[in-house]
Amino acid sequence: MKRTSNILIAAALVSGALVSVSCNRGENNRKPGRIYMPDMYESRAYEFYNEKVSSMKPVDGTVKRGELLPYHLKAEDTALANGVKNPLILAKADLEEGKRLFNIYCGICHGTKLDGNGPLYKDGTGPYVAAPANLASGAKASYTEGRLFHVMTYGYNVMGSYASQLDRTQRWKIAAYIRSVQNGGANPPTLVDGDTKPAAAPAPAEAATAAAPTSDSTAHK
Amino acid sequence: MYRRVSIRMRKHFVSVLVLCVGMIASFSVRAADPSKGKALFQSNCASCHNVQKKLTGPALAGVEGRWSDKKLLHQWIHNSAAVLATGDQYANALYNEYKISMPPFPSLSDADVDDILAYIAQQEAQGGGDKGKDNSNPNPTQNPEEGSANNSLLFGIITLILAVVALILLQINSNLNKLAADKEGVAVPEPVPFYKNKAYIALVILVMFMVGGYFTINGAIGLGRQKDYMPEQPIFFSHKVHPGMNQINCLYCHAGAEKSKHAMIPSENICMNCHKVISEYSGGDLFNAEGKKINGTAEIAKLYEYVGWDANAKAYTKPGKPIPWTKIHNLPDHVYFNHSQHVVAGKQQCQTCHGPITEEDEVHQFADLSMGWCINCHRTTKVQFADNKYYSIFEKFHQDVKDGKIDSVTVEMVGGTECQKCHY
Repeated sequence: MKRTSNILIAAALVSGALVSVSCNRGENNRKPGRIYMPDMYESRAYEFYNEKVSSMKPVDGTVKRGELLPYHLKAEDTALANGVKNPLILAKADLEEGKRLFNIYCGICHGTKLDGNGPLYKDGTGPYVAAPANLASGAKASYTEGRLFHVMTYGYNVMGSYASQLDRTQRWKIAAYIRSVQNGGANPPTLVDGDTKPAAAPAPAEAATAAAPTSDSTAHK
Repeated sequence: MYRRVSIRMRKHFVSVLVLCVGMIASFSVRAADPSKGKALFQSNCASCHNVQKKLTGPALAGVEGRWSDKKLLHQWIHNSAAVLATGDQYANALYNEYKISMPPFPSLSDADVDDILAYIAQQEAQGGGDKGKDNSNPNPTQNPEEGSANNSLLFGIITLILAVVALILLQINSNLNKLAADKEGVAVPEPVPFYKNKAYIALVILVMFMVGGYFTINGAIGLGRQKDYMPEQPIFFSHKVHPGMNQINCLYCHAGAEKSKHAMIPSENICMNCHKVISEYSGGDLFNAEGKKINGTAEIAKLYEYVGWDANAKAYTKPGKPIPWTKIHNLPDHVYFNHSQHVVAGKQQCQTCHGPITEEDEVHQFADLSMGWCINCHRTTKVQFADNKYYSIFEKFHQDVKDGKIDSVTVEMVGGTECQKCHY
């Protein structure tokens, strides 16, 4: 009796081991393997990346904490955008941050030298078949910070909007950085000392806001 | 000496003369020069036009044939608004199709325009064939794990043979003992067969218990861990191509890694930032883990299907739907993990936890994401303490480092192994 129970225990252990080890992943590890308490893994609390919740925009009319107030100009208001002033009071560190962000998000096409020859274009040998704009000199070098911000927000020709990757503060920093190096640094920005960056209290482009009626659809740009 | 020089001079004179005549001829007739046209095309036209592809403006292959009059085409390039004003039918049709007016290029001379047109004609003749034809990647599949599998099989066979030999020797030993006993006339009880021998049975059960226990415990620990998990994704998105070959920064797509808990699976508009223009894959051959060849262009077409983009019309024609990517790195709910904390304050590289991601066509889970793995890293990783505002409140450690009492501060010392940091 005792011996049989011993054998049974051993057999159960071995079979348990075989079940949990052998059929775990499948060929080429295509399966996630076994889990216990699946409610911890496939949670109802935040199940991202399914068809219901992924790629959703924030609720209309909400502003993230610490974020600048919404930008109300529409894509076609380019003339108004020219006059929009940068709402940030910039320090040197902010320009450096703008440079870092530019090299990540813009440099891939426009080049880290802003010459419109990033790794995706490479003088026309890269995979991107449209020549990115030369921001360092030429026609685009006369764009104001407001216009640069506007282009980043809405895109321009084949360039897409970067509003989903860069928040408004980051876009303004990039605009300030681009402006500071254009035409060989002909438009140096006014910088404050210290590393703090107080954002100006009034919303950006209040004058422009009055001219262009606000719309819910642009609240998150 | 003088003679030799003069002969050489005469020879050179002839070749120089031929060269001069050639140059004069070329200047007087001035055939359009496609190589000059290439430079002009790239600086003036390429932002909006491609020879083979429709971008912001139409594809330029066959542009000369489409205009009724070459003079009109020149005029159009110099000042498109003026041509539109004349009411030319083709020009107005173009404007209505693209809804954007071409900026004037008064600085281009007629010769410049001819150079550009010659370049376009040359590209058209090549059929855009200078790109995308060099698919030369001969290594489709590799099998790096074959060696270790062979070794363990060999060890198993040797163990088995030794066990059999030992068994036979034991048997021989007991038989010899029995013969010796018979000879001396000592009565020996009939030997028990080994499967009824209690000592054997106990030994076998012990061995089975140990082996079985080892595998069971390992299997149980492995429950819920997904190291090496490499699901098939709805689109064959290759990290080797994007951040690897094309040098796109990780943060370009996973912009959340610096700002939030989640690194963010990029939304489709981020794909379309580039793929509005890049509709064909032209790199080396792609293979999935099963060794099947992947058609990159067809994979981009799948993206277009999801976002509802019509590549011919260059417009979103259908409502988009989310791409059902399969999540690979999955932490259970009772663990808190924050990307921005590790990337911004901790200054960690993505590769520390995600492995050599820029070399992988298909992403697999590099780390086992177990608690032991987290804790080990927190014990050994030194915090970048200097010039990091995040850690400015740890004044005692700053003082100790300054005094030379400690040379560095690990994550554990700033509370990185406290239970409540990750479980609450």
